[in-house]
Amino acid sequence: MTWRPTPLNVSFLTVVGWALFLAVLTGRVELAVVAVPMVVALVAGRRTGAPPRWQIDRSLSTARLLEDECVTVSVTLRAEGPLPLVELLEPLPPRVGLERGSNHAFFTLREGREIGWTFELRGTGRQHLRLAGPHLRVWGPLGLSAAESQHRAPATVAVYPRHAPIRHLPRPLRTQTFAGNYVSSTQGEGIEPGDIRPFAPGDQIRHVNWRATLKLGTLHVTQHHRERNADVVLLLDTLSEVGPDGETVVDVAARGAAALATAYLARKDRVGLIEYGGQPRWVRPGAGRAQLERLLDTLLSASVVFTYVNRDLDLVPPRILPPRALVVALSPLLDRRFVRAATDLAARGFDLIVIAVSPVPAARAAAPRSAVADVAARLWALERRAALDEYRRRGLSVVEWDGREPLDAALAALGRRWRRRVLAG
Amino acid sequence: MMRLAAMVLLAVLAALPLAVQPSAAPVTWLATAALVVGGVGVIAWSVPLVTAAGSLALVAYALALVLAGPAADPLAAIALGSTLALLLALVHFAARARGAAVGPSVIASQVRQWLAVVALGAAVAGVLMAAALPVGIALRSATLPGVLIAAALGAVLTVGGVIALVASEASRRPRS
Repeated sequence: MTWRPTPLNVSFLTVVGWALFLAVLTGRVELAVVAVPMVVALVAGRRTGAPPRWQIDRSLSTARLLEDECVTVSVTLRAEGPLPLVELLEPLPPRVGLERGSNHAFFTLREGREIGWTFELRGTGRQHLRLAGPHLRVWGPLGLSAAESQHRAPATVAVYPRHAPIRHLPRPLRTQTFAGNYVSSTQGEGIEPGDIRPFAPGDQIRHVNWRATLKLGTLHVTQHHRERNADVVLLLDTLSEVGPDGETVVDVAARGAAALATAYLARKDRVGLIEYGGQPRWVRPGAGRAQLERLLDTLLSASVVFTYVNRDLDLVPPRILPPRALVVALSPLLDRRFVRAATDLAARGFDLIVIAVSPVPAARAAAPRSAVADVAARLWALERRAALDEYRRRGLSVVEWDGREPLDAALAALGRRWRRRVLAG
Repeated sequence: MMRLAAMVLLAVLAALPLAVQPSAAPVTWLATAALVVGGVGVIAWSVPLVTAAGSLALVAYALALVLAGPAADPLAAIALGSTLALLLALVHFAARARGAAVGPSVIASQVRQWLAVVALGAAVAGVLMAAALPVGIALRSATLPGVLIAAALGAVLTVGGVIALVASEASRRPRS
């Protein structure tokens, strides 16, 4: 790091040149005198040798947060020599807002003194928020020379998609073999009472139904339904996207997927994820807190990757898409390949729910407001409604979600139809 | 606050030529133009515009001196030079610090530094003026073309020397 002259020198030299030129032209000594303070400033403002040394540390309050949450950036600067004017700037990446304080500051430090500088950043979209490190500039007198440096301390904060709690979770038609929160149709150990049958050797005395025994005259026992868990696979469509940066249909779908994953994992279900796009990726079903972290990390980098190659869900290994799993697809249903894949899954007997993320609000947000755009949006919404009705006639369980209302409200509407289907099944 | 200080300095800059020759229309027009251009520069925190305003004020001052032909007044000239230096430094700092967090200690430290440099400039100007008196007496018999050539050479050498000084710093800048 070395001192270098700033563009202000050009301004000073311009005025000095003018003053001396006019002094010679007019023969007035005052004009030459005008130039003297500026020449002295130019000479006094130049700096040679090594700039003062310092130590700088930067730390972040957290390495992971949800959308619209804040991270505090703390910078500590210690001067090993006097710093009359030092400028610090932490460049902000896109989709990051300044919540409190400033990412650009000026300080004056005496030798051996230390200052702390903090500011808060708000992540406004799912992303890996990358901070390269603060830029530091030491100014000479009058700003005529400066020395620049960058403290390279790259740090990344994972900004996960925000998610709201969901109470009306779609229930799976079929359960798995592990203990969970769903009442299974199979009999065994459980809390929910089922049928009554005559006592058989090996039955436990505590299962004897005394009321039925007294009425029928022989020993009868109460059977119970088992409580089992379910496998849930979230199918995220990343074949196409619409909308402004940070509010695309993929971002909205990722928020929905994060909310569903959190809710199902809280019910002890095993949850997996398939990102169905140009570059398919998946997370095999699992349970617990670590699985939630895995799913959120995958959702963080879910994006549209263009490719000419058509990939089918046949590529997905059976352990990723296990039999008897509930598949929840989140898609704007803009790409026919995804509609074909969803129809295929339903035809293969999978328990499938399609959450159709409406691209109309996202497209309206990206387009300038006009009467023609309003009419076009209304027509598009009508076309989509007709298309969704057609999918429902084909047997798909489809619920539309515009991304602005809570997903829970959209799922509540589905819940009534779905419950009838579960009972019928 | 910084904008108000810059406006005051700009007003002083425009008023000094008018103080020398208030009745001449060209001087008034040039001073008004300097005020307008400088005002826009201060509002936009633009150093090039303020430099242009400073140059206009200098031309107005030169014209006022030629039209009025008063006796040499080094104090007004030192005030004009110091005001120009302060205005340029202030606008440059304000442009850099726009939107940044700047503590009151920083402002106080900067003002002290600017005033120290300007005071040094004023003192040097005073010393040079004092030293110029015996030189003027010694050169009383010199012819006008000779004085003119010497003055032009001095001006060119001064500007060239300062440019060389600044450029030597720039040439030491490491290439990355």
